Amino acid sequence: MNEDEAFEYAKTTLKEERITQYSPTEQEVVKSVESCINCGLCIQHCPVIAAVGVNRFSGPRSIAVQLSRSPPEFWSTADVVYLCTGCGTCKEVCPKNVNIPEVVNMIRSRIFDQRPDLVPKGLHIVREVLTKYNLAFEPWEDLEEKIESRDMRLERLGLPYIEDPKLSKADVIFYPGCQAEERSQEVREAAKVILDYFDVNFAVLDEMSCCGLPSVLMGDQDTASSLSKKLEKQVKSIEAKIVVTTCAGCTSNLSEIAERDGWGIPTVHVLEFLAEQIGFDRLKKTFSERADYSDVHVSVHDPCHLIKHTSRQVMEYALAILRSIPGVRVTESKAHDSCCGGGGLVAYHASDVANAVVKENLEAINETDAERIVTPCPLCTAQIESNLFKTGSSVEVDDLTVFIAQRLPRG
Amino acid sequence: MDFHTDLLVIGGGMAGLVAGTVATEKGLETVLLRKGQSATAYSSGAVDVIGYLPEASAPFISPEEGLTAIAGLYPLHPYSIVGYGEDVSPEQVVDTIISRTKTAIDWLKEHLSKTRTPLVGDFSSNIYPITILGTTKPTCLIQQTMYPADLEENEESTLLFAGIRGFPEFNSAAAAKTYLEDRVALSLPPRKVAHCEIRTTPFGETLNLSQIEIARHLDHNEGLEDFAAQLKDHTDRVGATHVAIPPILGLRNAVANQTKLKDLLSAHVFELLGFPPSVPGLRLQLALEGIFQESGGKMMVGHEAKSFKLKNGVVESVLAQAPKRAATISAKAFILASGKFIGGGLTGDENGIRETIFGLMTVTGSYHSAEDILPSKSTNRLAITPEGQPVYATGLTVDPNFRPIQEEGVEWAGNLFAAGSVLAGYNYSVEKSGLGVALTSGYSAALNVSDYVKEVSK
Repeated sequence: MNEDEAFEYAKTTLKEERITQYSPTEQEVVKSVESCINCGLCIQHCPVIAAVGVNRFSGPRSIAVQLSRSPPEFWSTADVVYLCTGCGTCKEVCPKNVNIPEVVNMIRSRIFDQRPDLVPKGLHIVREVLTKYNLAFEPWEDLEEKIESRDMRLERLGLPYIEDPKLSKADVIFYPGCQAEERSQEVREAAKVILDYFDVNFAVLDEMSCCGLPSVLMGDQDTASSLSKKLEKQVKSIEAKIVVTTCAGCTSNLSEIAERDGWGIPTVHVLEFLAEQIGFDRLKKTFSERADYSDVHVSVHDPCHLIKHTSRQVMEYALAILRSIPGVRVTESKAHDSCCGGGGLVAYHASDVANAVVKENLEAINETDAERIVTPCPLCTAQIESNLFKTGSSVEVDDLTVFIAQRLPRG
Repeated sequence: MDFHTDLLVIGGGMAGLVAGTVATEKGLETVLLRKGQSATAYSSGAVDVIGYLPEASAPFISPEEGLTAIAGLYPLHPYSIVGYGEDVSPEQVVDTIISRTKTAIDWLKEHLSKTRTPLVGDFSSNIYPITILGTTKPTCLIQQTMYPADLEENEESTLLFAGIRGFPEFNSAAAAKTYLEDRVALSLPPRKVAHCEIRTTPFGETLNLSQIEIARHLDHNEGLEDFAAQLKDHTDRVGATHVAIPPILGLRNAVANQTKLKDLLSAHVFELLGFPPSVPGLRLQLALEGIFQESGGKMMVGHEAKSFKLKNGVVESVLAQAPKRAATISAKAFILASGKFIGGGLTGDENGIRETIFGLMTVTGSYHSAEDILPSKSTNRLAITPEGQPVYATGLTVDPNFRPIQEEGVEWAGNLFAAGSVLAGYNYSVEKSGLGVALTSGYSAALNVSDYVKEVSK
């Protein structure tokens, strides 16, 4: 048996030994771990450690240097890797930029492949929904009720209803993401209000289909890949120049997929679209035309998937847009860029951890004395809103897309 | 996303942040790129100027003494560079080096005085704070929370080393023994040293505790009060006048916590210098970021300088890469403060040592080309020796304006300056000069940049 034959033979035994080979992309991730100098700076910054301690969550360094190097027994680490919220803080502060969030996804995918029994039950439920409906949340049973809920939200927020454009080809695809499609419908509607106001030629997908981020986060690579293929087909059929979304997770994940699979068109958050395509001069002029809004004191939450997985510049745009709206005063919260706890699917199986992580944000928000907290992600909005509500806080929470749409002139 | 600025600083440690702040105060619009945290965040949080000459075993009494020796023996040392400006006459060289370093030290002290980490000590003498091993090291400035007050002057002082159960980095008994042996040998106070162990439970358990968890716990009133109550029993029992604790006195409220503990215990509490990455290092990093932003500088966190455009002998722009976006930033001048091997400004492999962004010429500590020298040729077999590891002295060599030079000795680009540990010619771990060189070279590079930008803007 020569060397190549021996290698081929060894490969046939992998399944039996519960070893999954690294794909070329995963090899890059593993290689980034090689440059870890074991300094432990990440431990000082990890929001999960800050919330629950190293004894409960051993943290990024341990994931990088210990847990990533124990194949095939990845599952011995299952109780730890599912507590990572995937915020990306560790990678950002790391002097070597070790891709720890991807190491987490990689380990989760090994556990998913080899020991699905160790995947938290809450994640299996999400998987079932995803494979059945191509959505992260179970869709409304009764469409009438969905419309009723949408209209109630629009009325409460004072937003007009803009019908979905029935275009098969368009310059821009508006992609709301699962949360805005099924739950926070006001965000989906608000984005249409904005695009319509600026006369953007846009289309929405006939049938909303998840970007696959939840599948990536639970380690279900097959579903992630079938979802991204499905989406690619839908997107390509519209022949658009750009995809615009309102969700932080969709922004970073679609940017990743589009690059990886060569879609040939970029995905941007609606904030980037406003800043780069509409421009601040026009925005400023537009907002000044609306005089009936009273002054408001806001604080901002930065979604991790925008700042740490896409670019911190996106939130610079958010601040610049807010400052161009008359009567809006912004006070920075001390924890503006700290994870809300809503990431990494942690809330689906360890809500105590997710809620401990958001506590730091809540305290900092209360310190600002702002009346309202705005954030450009419907998932962060939901996580912060429900936790603020539980503490009895009077601070209101708005998705930033909604906040902007509300302040556009009508008529 | 592309934009223009006066100055682009690459690197967010001591050198980059000081350079950025000074330049902003001089009226330049400044943007700073930071790809990850630096060796400053990683440090013990004390600011060394110069502790030792390489291979010497006795420390310098003062930065002035050390700088005079450096200027005489190592004319290419980064400290020495400031003495070779065009307007400096040969007899002024040493004075210029000393006065620039002193100015930078005073500047830093003044700027940090209202932050979370005010500094004590001054340029006139080195001080010898105690480490968590019970040893001492020469340095110039320490954080106020590390100040041991009159511990070593007062004949009546009694020092208590307080350890924390479940915190593996500090053994109070061993530290107390080491420190006392030293003091006995010197026949200097304190004459009495004790140790104890207290319990603090940030998350309900006394095991596997990390510095940062304890520091955050003490930032909360309940955490601090419980800590103080236990410490009081031990302080009263041994009659301690001073209490040494590991560097965990809080991330946000360390100074206020020190005062509160003093009131509650009637003893002076101070932090020992710890191993990297330390909480005081993080406090220093955050304070430096704070003064830079307050001065009006803009930080681009999570952005890495990936490539550049050079035209007519000047750098035109740098491409800043974020995880999924990129921005081309053009500027009138650039400061490279990208650090050494930790920060990633230099990298070494089987082909030699390279500067990672511009591909600038690298040299060894003895100013031979380091470009095709195996890094292992610049290492000693013994990990810790008075000569240290020569590989730490590799880096860039610069002109008197802190502009990296090429083989022929002329600057690589008219508007590219360098500061901090990316520079060659000093071995911070042997000399105990790391943050001092970063501070002085960052400060000096910014002054030169300011002059340069004013000149080209005319």
